Amino acid sequence: MSGDGGAGSRASGPKDATSVPIHLRPARDQDLAALLPLLLRLKRLNEEFDPLLRVREDAEQQARQILKADITNPKAVVLAAEGVGADRDKVVGFVRAHVRERAFYAPEFEGVILDIYLLPLYRRRGVGEFVLEEVSKALKAKGAAIVTAEFPAQNEIASRFYSKRGFRPIIAVQARSL
Amino acid sequence: MARSASPPVEPDRPGRRKAGAGPSASERSEDQTEELGARSVELSQFYAGKIETVPKVPVRSLNDFALWYTPGVAAVSRAIQADPDRAFELTGRWNTIAIVTDGSRVLGLGEIGPEAALPVMEGKALLFKILGGVDAVPVPIRARSPDEFIATVEAMAPAFGGINLEDIASPKCFGILEKLAKRLPIPVWHDDQLGTAAATVAGLLNALELTHRSIRDVRTVLLGAGAANLVTARLLLELGHPPHALTLVDQKGVLHADRDDLDELELRNPWKYRIALTTNGGGRTGNLAAAHAGADVLLAASTPNPDTVRPEHIRAMAKDPIVFALANPVPEIWPEVATAAGAAVVATGRSDFPNQVNNSLIFPAVFRGVLDARARSIPDEVVLAAAKELARGAAMKGLSKHHLLPTMEEPEVFPQIAAAVGDTAVRLGIARRKLTHDEFLERAHALMGRPAQLVRALARARLTPPMPRAASRRRRKAP
Repeated sequence: MSGDGGAGSRASGPKDATSVPIHLRPARDQDLAALLPLLLRLKRLNEEFDPLLRVREDAEQQARQILKADITNPKAVVLAAEGVGADRDKVVGFVRAHVRERAFYAPEFEGVILDIYLLPLYRRRGVGEFVLEEVSKALKAKGAAIVTAEFPAQNEIASRFYSKRGFRPIIAVQARSL
Repeated sequence: MARSASPPVEPDRPGRRKAGAGPSASERSEDQTEELGARSVELSQFYAGKIETVPKVPVRSLNDFALWYTPGVAAVSRAIQADPDRAFELTGRWNTIAIVTDGSRVLGLGEIGPEAALPVMEGKALLFKILGGVDAVPVPIRARSPDEFIATVEAMAPAFGGINLEDIASPKCFGILEKLAKRLPIPVWHDDQLGTAAATVAGLLNALELTHRSIRDVRTVLLGAGAANLVTARLLLELGHPPHALTLVDQKGVLHADRDDLDELELRNPWKYRIALTTNGGGRTGNLAAAHAGADVLLAASTPNPDTVRPEHIRAMAKDPIVFALANPVPEIWPEVATAAGAAVVATGRSDFPNQVNNSLIFPAVFRGVLDARARSIPDEVVLAAAKELARGAAMKGLSKHHLLPTMEEPEVFPQIAAAVGDTAVRLGIARRKLTHDEFLERAHALMGRPAQLVRALARARLTPPMPRAASRRRRKAP
């Protein structure tokens, strides 16, 4: 399970591309080196929420493989956020999502946001919201009719971020050790 | 104290002092602390507590209780029921505060629990009375969570005109103060945050004046990102210190927005997180040495260890740097070492060096002021007004590198601070009672002077027994 980390935005309405201090584009192979540490930061943050989200020793290798695969996977969306000004050409955040088929429910295709991460200086300025809207569009273009987000149950910042934007819990995942 | 510490013999080799130089300041202070501790236990046993409740009305006979108590008092209750603010006129609420703690960070002792915190809270209550003329009730609380603590304090607020939070661990102290200040209609204060920060800012303002600097044009390093320094940083920014020239340093180095523990901070310590984003390391990354290069001001409030700040750090600063080494009982660098390395002005947290940055210069007067104004809160404007007035108090007597701040032996400044606090509360529209400056001042003089008279009268009447002789004089430890 993955999740959103602190992509919280206080913006009141959706932002257009000109008012946010990032430029969002599909991620490329060359972005891997920049995306890796961001993905790992997000997973390490998730670790704070529950001992069952302890990050694996080989997380970095895993992250590299998964990102590499998803960048070219037609059923996945990976967008890289570049900064502006001095941070131009620097990857300051990313979003990764999958289009999943729902075997029993309609609508049939679901866009699942697995990771959203933005560097601290790019939070709370409507950036998270902009990223959410853009990834939703990309998922819709791939056939998804609903969008969902996975994140640690204890992550209240993420929880607030999504519920403010019309999301509600539809499936709960609970865990215990064996 | 974690380790025994003595001033370095030479800049690069910390060690014991030269033979014949006698015990170092820190050794002296360790012995003294032990001796004082033994005596304190003895006296606590003898007096069995430091404060008691004393009637302030005449009681000629038990018949008077028909006035002080039932049936007469029912009319007083009805008056307050009709207008709850009348509690500030008809009861002692106007001058009564609670000193509340959860015992989670008592002195340097750590989490010792609410019972063990009580003697400290009693001591603070005594200080409140003697210095501020404030009736303070010690209330250590057993709470399982910050929310439970907050709910408990909220529930007892009707009895009090103010709340003094004491010895609560950082960072939970920030959330507790923030929430209580928002929910309660009375002033809430946390000395470890506001008192220390206000005294620091006062000293700094005078140090800037003395070295012909403007706060809008200095580069400052804050070493330590605990309760005091995070608030000091906030106050400096409010005073116009450019955020890009403010560098906070903690155990992990310069606090900046790209540091990889920022996500955890956003979660666990949003106050520190905010400062990290606002200041962004002052454009710097790396360690203490990197932070110091070219800085005008060092405000250290970290861990007691005289080697925390090295002479080379001071030498790397701008010309005539200002150095505050505020850790207690042992500063981050000894004043003589800092001066030798070029510091123009040095302040510490200790009374045996010049320029003691001391909470006691602030909190009694702040409470005197907000209580006399029956203020609803203590916004930063009030804290800054107190700091500026304290700074002015020292300046009135003449600033020098040895006189940045008034000492506790210059009590004439306290009513002035109280009046400045009262004025500011009125100006901000948070005062229930709007007195003039002179009225605030006169009142503060009277109320702050009364406890000394009381203490003298009680001693004369032998109602307070004289201090018994020390049972055992502790020997100085063999070398």
